[in-house]
Amino acid sequence: MKKFTFKGGIHPLHDRHEGKAATSGKPVRPFVSDTVCIPMDMHLGAPSKPCVKKGEHVLLGQVIGEPVGGLGLPVHASVSGTVLEVRRKQNLSAGLSECVIIQNDFNDEWTELHGMGNVETAPAEKIIDAIRDAGICGMGGACFPTFAKLRIPQGQTVDTILVNGSECETFLTADHRLMLESPLRIVDGLRAAMRATGVKHGVICIEDNKMDAVETMRKAAHGREGVEVAVLRTKYPQGGEKQLIKAVTGREVPSGGLPMHAHVVVLNVGTCAAIADAIIDGKPLISRITTVTGCVREPANLLLRIGTVFLDAIGECGGYSEEPGKIFVGGSMCGVCAPDDTVAMGKGQNGIVVLNQKEATPPPETQCIRCGRCVQACAIGLNPYRLMNLCQTGDLATAEKEHVLDCILCGSCSYVCPARRWMTASFKNAKELIMAARRAKK
Amino acid sequence: MKLSLSSGPHLHAKENTQRAMLDVLIALLPATAAGLYFFGWKAAMVVAVSVVSCVFFEALWCALGHKRSTVSDLSAAVTGLLLGLNLPATAPWWMPVIGGLFAIIVIKQLFGGIGSNFLNPALAARAALLSSWPAHMTTFMLPQRTLLVHTAEVADAATAATPLATGGASYIDLFLGNVPGCIGEVCKAALLIGFLYLLIRRVIGWQIPVIFVATAAALSWALGDDPLQTVLTGGLLLGAIFMATDYATSPMLFVGECIYAFGCGVIVVVIRKFGNYPEGCSYAILLMNIVTPLIDKYCKRRVYGEVKKNA
Repeated sequence: MKKFTFKGGIHPLHDRHEGKAATSGKPVRPFVSDTVCIPMDMHLGAPSKPCVKKGEHVLLGQVIGEPVGGLGLPVHASVSGTVLEVRRKQNLSAGLSECVIIQNDFNDEWTELHGMGNVETAPAEKIIDAIRDAGICGMGGACFPTFAKLRIPQGQTVDTILVNGSECETFLTADHRLMLESPLRIVDGLRAAMRATGVKHGVICIEDNKMDAVETMRKAAHGREGVEVAVLRTKYPQGGEKQLIKAVTGREVPSGGLPMHAHVVVLNVGTCAAIADAIIDGKPLISRITTVTGCVREPANLLLRIGTVFLDAIGECGGYSEEPGKIFVGGSMCGVCAPDDTVAMGKGQNGIVVLNQKEATPPPETQCIRCGRCVQACAIGLNPYRLMNLCQTGDLATAEKEHVLDCILCGSCSYVCPARRWMTASFKNAKELIMAARRAKK
Repeated sequence: MKLSLSSGPHLHAKENTQRAMLDVLIALLPATAAGLYFFGWKAAMVVAVSVVSCVFFEALWCALGHKRSTVSDLSAAVTGLLLGLNLPATAPWWMPVIGGLFAIIVIKQLFGGIGSNFLNPALAARAALLSSWPAHMTTFMLPQRTLLVHTAEVADAATAATPLATGGASYIDLFLGNVPGCIGEVCKAALLIGFLYLLIRRVIGWQIPVIFVATAAALSWALGDDPLQTVLTGGLLLGAIFMATDYATSPMLFVGECIYAFGCGVIVVVIRKFGNYPEGCSYAILLMNIVTPLIDKYCKRRVYGEVKKNA
C-alpha cells in the first residue's frame, strides 16, 4: 500500500502512544451541562453580535449572535432554555469576549430546521450559504469560516479537496472516534463541499496509526463519486495543511499563499461532518466531539455542546486525578493554554488536556549545543537555531529574510531540543511583531 | 487554582543535553577500559587528572562569572575524558591540567561556552600540547599486557613510536590494541562498540565517521598505501567517531556533514602521506572545524513554498 509522507517532522511522545491510548478505544459519549457559556468570537473574523437579551427563552439551534463583517458567522444556542446573562468574560482568546450564558431546560426543543435531505440532490448553489448559516468554521483548531474557504475567488482553480483525518497531534482521539462512528457523515460533508465548489476529486487523509479508521472510511467512501482514502505515515505535523498538501498531492503552497494557490482546499473531518448535518438536516453547529484527557480520572471522548465550561466537562470525566498544573486545548504540541477551568468550549476545540504540576513545570532552558535536531525536525526547512538567535537579538529583518514568516509554529524544533530552547515561542513572537509592523506601515 | 500558561510545545522529548553527554561518556567506556587494561595505572592517572581538571575549570569559570554551574551538563567531563584518551600514558601529570585549562577556558568558555566553540576543545588542547611538548606527546608506552593474541615480537624497550611511524604491526594487533599509542586510540574494537552504542542511542548519525574513514581508506589506496593499515593505525577511528562528530563544530545538515567528513578524510591522508608528522587526524578535524560555519552557510535545506505563485 502506498503511504504518503513529507520531509522533516518528529514522533512526539512516541513512547507513550502519543498520549492517545487512554481515549482511542472509548466510544463518544454525549454530555449536556446545566448551563452553557457561548462566546461570540469562536471563529476567525469579527466577533458576532449578541441578538438575545437576559431572560429571553431560546430554542436549540436558534441564532443568538449575528454575523459581523465579511468573515462573520452566526452563533447558535447549543441548548434550549433561558438566557441568564450576556456579558464579557475571559475565554481562550486574548482579552475578554462577549458571551451568552444560557440555563438549560433539558427539553432540547429545536428551532425550525430546513434540511435539504440529501447531499447529492441538494441544490449546489445553496450549499455554501447553508454552511455559513450553520455557523461552521474549521473544527481542527484554526476556526477559519468554512464558507469563505469554499468560496473560490474568480481566477483561482481548485481541483482537490483534502479531508484531514490525520490527527497527528498528541493526546487527541476525537477525529479518530468520529471517523469510526460517523464515517458516512464525513463522506456526505465532503460530497457537499465538492458539489458546492465543483471539485471532482476528494481525498480523505488518515495516518497509519488509525488503520481501523482507514477501513471504515474506505467502506463509507465506496461507490461515492470522486472520493478516495489516502494513508499517511504517522508523523507530526502530518496534519498541518502545508504538509498534508505536499504529502498527498506533491504540490507546495507558495510562501505567503493559501492552500487554494496550490489548487487545494483542506477541511477537517469534523468540519465535514458538521457540513453534512447542516445540509441534510439543516442543523447548525451546536456540538462537537472533544477528547478530555491527561490528569482526569476517566479520560473520555465527549460530544459536548458548544459553550460547555471546561470544569463541567472535566467533572463529567471524574474530575482531576491530580492537582492540575496546566490545561490546554488541542494536543501538547501546539495546544493553547486556558487561564483557568471556567473558560468555555468553542467550535474548534478538539481536546482538553490537563497536565499535573510536574509536567507543567517548564524544564530549564540551557545553551544551544548546535546538535542540529531542530533543523532536521523542521517540516518547512528552516534553520530554527539560527532564527532563534536572530529573534532574541532583535534582528527581525534578517529573521524575515530567513523565512521566519513561513514557520507554521508546529513546535517540533522546541520538542526535540535537548537544551529546551523556547524556539517556537520566539518565532510566534517574531511573526506577530513583523505582521504588526507591516500593518502599521499600511 | 494556579495554572501555568505558555505557548506550545507543552511536553518535550526525553533526551536533553545531559543525557546526550552521558551517552558519549558511556560510549567511551569500552575504549577507556581498554586503555587502562593496556597501559595500567599511569593511564588511569592521566585520564583522571584530565577529567578532574576540565570539570574543575568549568566550575571555576562559572563561579567566577557568577553563572549557573554548567558542570551537570557533563560536557566538561566529556571534554576531559576525550583529552585524557588523546594523551600517551606516559604524559606527566601537569600536561592534562594545562590541556584542560586550554580546552575549557580558552577554547570553550572564551568563545561562549557549550555549543559556541569553533574548535573541538579536546582536540585543540591536544594540538596545543603537541606543539608545546612534542617529545612528551610522541613517546608512547608499549602495552603492558596484550589482548587475546599478539603476533608481533614484543620489544624490550619500555617506550616506542606508534605503528604509524614505524609500520609493521599486524591487523589483528592493531584492531585489538596490542600496539603503542594514545590511551584511548589503540583498541579499535572498543571504539567500534562505542560507535554502535551512539548509533543505537541516536546521539550521532553514521555519516561523518563512515564517510571520514571511507574517504581516508580510498585515498590512501589510490596513493598506493594499505587502506586497512590507514584505518587501523593512529587516532583515525577515535577521531572519526568521537571528535569529528562533536555537535558544535560539525555541520548541521546531511550534505554538509558529508562534505565535512570527506574533507577530514582527505586532509588526514595528505598529512600522513606528505607531511613530516606521522599523525594528521587531529589537524584534519581541526581544519574542517574551521570550515564548518562556511559549509553551514551554503548547505541549507530548501524552504517549503519557495515556488512561483500559481506554478
